[in-house]
Amino acid sequence: MVNGAVLANNLVVLLFFWEGILATLFAMILLGREGAYKTSVKAVVLVGLSDLCMMLGIGLTAHLAGTLAMDQIHLPLDSAGSAAFLLMMLGALGKAGAMPFHSWIPDAADDAPMPFMALLPAALEKLLGIYLLTRICVDLFIFTPGSSMSLLLMTIGAATILFAVMMALVQKDFKRLLSYHAISQVGYMILGIGTALPVGIVGGLFHMFNHATYKSCLFYTAGSVERQTGTTNLKEISGLGRQMPVTMVTFLVAAASISGFPFTNGFYSKELIFDGALQTNVVFYLAALLGAFFTAVSFLKLGHAAFFGKPAKNLAHVKESPLPMLIPMVVLAAACLAIGFVRLDVIANLLQPVLGQATGTGEVIGAHTNWLLVGISVGVLALAALDHFLGFRKTGSGLKAADHFHDAPVLRDIYRLAEKKVFDPYHLGGYAVRGFAAVSLSVNNAISWFYDVAVVGAVGFLSAQLHRANNGTKTRSLGWALIGVLIVAAIFALSL
Amino acid sequence: MPLLMIGIPLLAVILLNLGPRRWISKQTALYTALAATALQMALAAYMCFTVGIGSVSSIRFVEKLSVDLFSAVTLFTIGLVAMISLLVSRDASEGSRFSFFNLLLLIVAGMNGLVMVTDVFSLYVFMETVSAASFVLIAINKRGQELAGAFKYYMLSAVATVLMLTAICFLFLCAGSTGFAEVAACVSAKGNSPTLIAAFLLFTSGLMIKCGMVPFHTWVPDAYSNAPAPVSVLLGGIVTKVSGVYVLMRVYRDVFLNNAAVGNVLFALGIVSILVGALVAIGQDDFKRMLAYSSISQLGYIVLGVATGSPLGFVGALFHFFNHATFKSLLFVDAAAIETQTGTRSMSHMGGLAKRMPYTGVSSIIAFLSTAGIPPLSGFWSKLLIVIAVWRVSPALAMVALAASILTLAYFLVMQRKVFFGKPTEETREVREAGGNTVLAQVILSAVNILAGLAFPLLLFYLQGIGAL
Repeated sequence: MVNGAVLANNLVVLLFFWEGILATLFAMILLGREGAYKTSVKAVVLVGLSDLCMMLGIGLTAHLAGTLAMDQIHLPLDSAGSAAFLLMMLGALGKAGAMPFHSWIPDAADDAPMPFMALLPAALEKLLGIYLLTRICVDLFIFTPGSSMSLLLMTIGAATILFAVMMALVQKDFKRLLSYHAISQVGYMILGIGTALPVGIVGGLFHMFNHATYKSCLFYTAGSVERQTGTTNLKEISGLGRQMPVTMVTFLVAAASISGFPFTNGFYSKELIFDGALQTNVVFYLAALLGAFFTAVSFLKLGHAAFFGKPAKNLAHVKESPLPMLIPMVVLAAACLAIGFVRLDVIANLLQPVLGQATGTGEVIGAHTNWLLVGISVGVLALAALDHFLGFRKTGSGLKAADHFHDAPVLRDIYRLAEKKVFDPYHLGGYAVRGFAAVSLSVNNAISWFYDVAVVGAVGFLSAQLHRANNGTKTRSLGWALIGVLIVAAIFALSL
Repeated sequence: MPLLMIGIPLLAVILLNLGPRRWISKQTALYTALAATALQMALAAYMCFTVGIGSVSSIRFVEKLSVDLFSAVTLFTIGLVAMISLLVSRDASEGSRFSFFNLLLLIVAGMNGLVMVTDVFSLYVFMETVSAASFVLIAINKRGQELAGAFKYYMLSAVATVLMLTAICFLFLCAGSTGFAEVAACVSAKGNSPTLIAAFLLFTSGLMIKCGMVPFHTWVPDAYSNAPAPVSVLLGGIVTKVSGVYVLMRVYRDVFLNNAAVGNVLFALGIVSILVGALVAIGQDDFKRMLAYSSISQLGYIVLGVATGSPLGFVGALFHFFNHATFKSLLFVDAAAIETQTGTRSMSHMGGLAKRMPYTGVSSIIAFLSTAGIPPLSGFWSKLLIVIAVWRVSPALAMVALAASILTLAYFLVMQRKVFFGKPTEETREVREAGGNTVLAQVILSAVNILAGLAFPLLLFYLQGIGAL
């Protein structure tokens, strides 16, 4: 399905595979534990909504372009073009799980089977969403830096980064925390692509590539922990590093990569995105930087809580996962480091050709490191470490090291609302739908009345009258026959 | 070969009655009759292909008999329904009297003759043969209700006979002969002479009685519902259709040359029958009465198709004729199965039979969906053809005919819910599935309904290929 969607050169074919993925998504979440039904419905509603946008977008695009072949469409972003772009963009963002279509992902992380979480939402869905986003930005529409669409996309990206990372910060569950990070990382990719600058787009794509490696690795470590301990609640696990060394090491590598620690692959792609954001507007750069800070803080907290500290007493018997589980983790962690080293080859051979003539210079993007930005990034990481250290000193627990953000004056109220799901569009939508449903129901009742009472009544009345006419004796039926002959004669008379 | 078609059933009757009754068991009689019908189906199927290739024009075998594609299809249908009726008779106690087989074979012989004749008077003779045998067959058990039903049928048939015989006299007066070709030549030459108009009027009125079109329909529900189970299958499935609708199709097209006045009568009575039949069927409690009214309504469609006078409408009517024979026979088989097993025909005393009688329940669903014209079952295609043909003449009529399909669905859904779904009542709790022969009949007819529906496009291409459309 995913292959089909990526290879499609026809918008309708693309849509076909696109919807096929939605169906598998639904079924896969449903396979999880009991109660997964609600989550899967939520996922279908949200993703389906975005797919609907995309469907409309495709219709509009095809109408404007007069063709369905994707390699022949280059639309300017005039008013109709913007609408088409916006609809297609919503479709892509929905699949990628950016705000405001994100809220099913953490729920799915709770309910869905682990290999599925590592595969679909974390990697493939992102891959596909970002693929389409790139496709529409680079190929289907003429998308220029600094245009309003570009700024809109960047705003969505920045907002997604910040919101999701703030939510991730306060999670007390391994998988939920990871899934909020998955959303936040999508924000980076959108931010990068939204710049419409070659450096940003390449950064976004490279980040997507890297994201697939380190986030899959992180989900595998979560799965490994869950398998061996039976829980992913961070309050119950601690000090696993000693018992599960391989899991810990791979976790550390992947966490370093997602936090943008130098020499990992995540570091390089993030730097490219930072570069692009800074060239557009310093506000986006600061937002991205803030996101990086919180990412680092939350992973310090996660690693500290899960793998360091005092081993919990009831987990003393826990052993390392079996070899088949370790192999993918190790391979992915090694990939995180290896891609960091061969980054220039990857960019030059795989990513830059995507842009085609757009770059023009032939120079490999990212070949020159912007040392100022690197310095700032490393500084941010250091700040995060300092913050974690202070928090740990204050609370005495790795898990609670980030709680001061949760308890900060303004943030506290926002978190409280968020925990009540006020920001979840699905729940907001739920209220709207309920109101709409009430209105529809009364309309429906009226229509039902017409069919159930009025029509049936009329038919019943007619039927009863005819029955009376039909319950005939022999004389009456002969009479009818006579009348019939007269009718036939009358029709003859009229026809002649 | 046409002589063979009449000869086989007649020969079977003679064979069965050669010696004293006690020499031949009912079992033997049944198998003889089954063999005769099977042979007929095989011959008719062979004729369908040999006749159809090239053109639809008839092949004249002897002076007075001829077969074209249209009659070949009808012959096949007759064989099929007669066979089904025989199968059902094995499980129904009433139908197993010896004379049942004699009468059934006589009716088959009569219908075969009716289908192949080429002259108006022979037509009348065969029609009377069929009617006379039917009266006796309906009243075969000599019970009060059955006699009443048979008498009503007989009474109105007598009126029809008088009307048609008079009409035939007028035609003879006009043409000097009763052959189809000669009368048709006279009709095209003299046009609207008063004698001919009188003949048209009387003949059409008589035929409308035979078809059971509203308002000549009053005998239909009584005859169908009071007849023993296997007889009602035969009667509702084929007998009244052949002696009414088939003759109408043949005469209207080949003899009356699509006369406009007759066409108007057919349009008017057809649409009224569709509506009245469906509306009355909605309120019926007696299963077989409901089916009878449904028959009236469905015959309305066939008559509408014929009335258009176009090849499309005609093919639609012919196909609906075949489909009606299969799905309505199937419903009558189901009714027979239920009547035999529960001892009642009142739908309000039934309920939850789907679990107790799964074959009956499922075949009933297939049959009524086909009747209501739900794709891809066979009834859908024929109704579609008819509605398209009618649309070309009068869109308003086509709309009414389409809307009436909803009524069809309505009364059948009510029937299905009352009889097969819901909770079992006191009476139906211990009911068992009907016997193996009935189930076999149900399976055969269900398969025909589904296969005819699926194979329809092929049939259409075939008909287009030979220029029938």
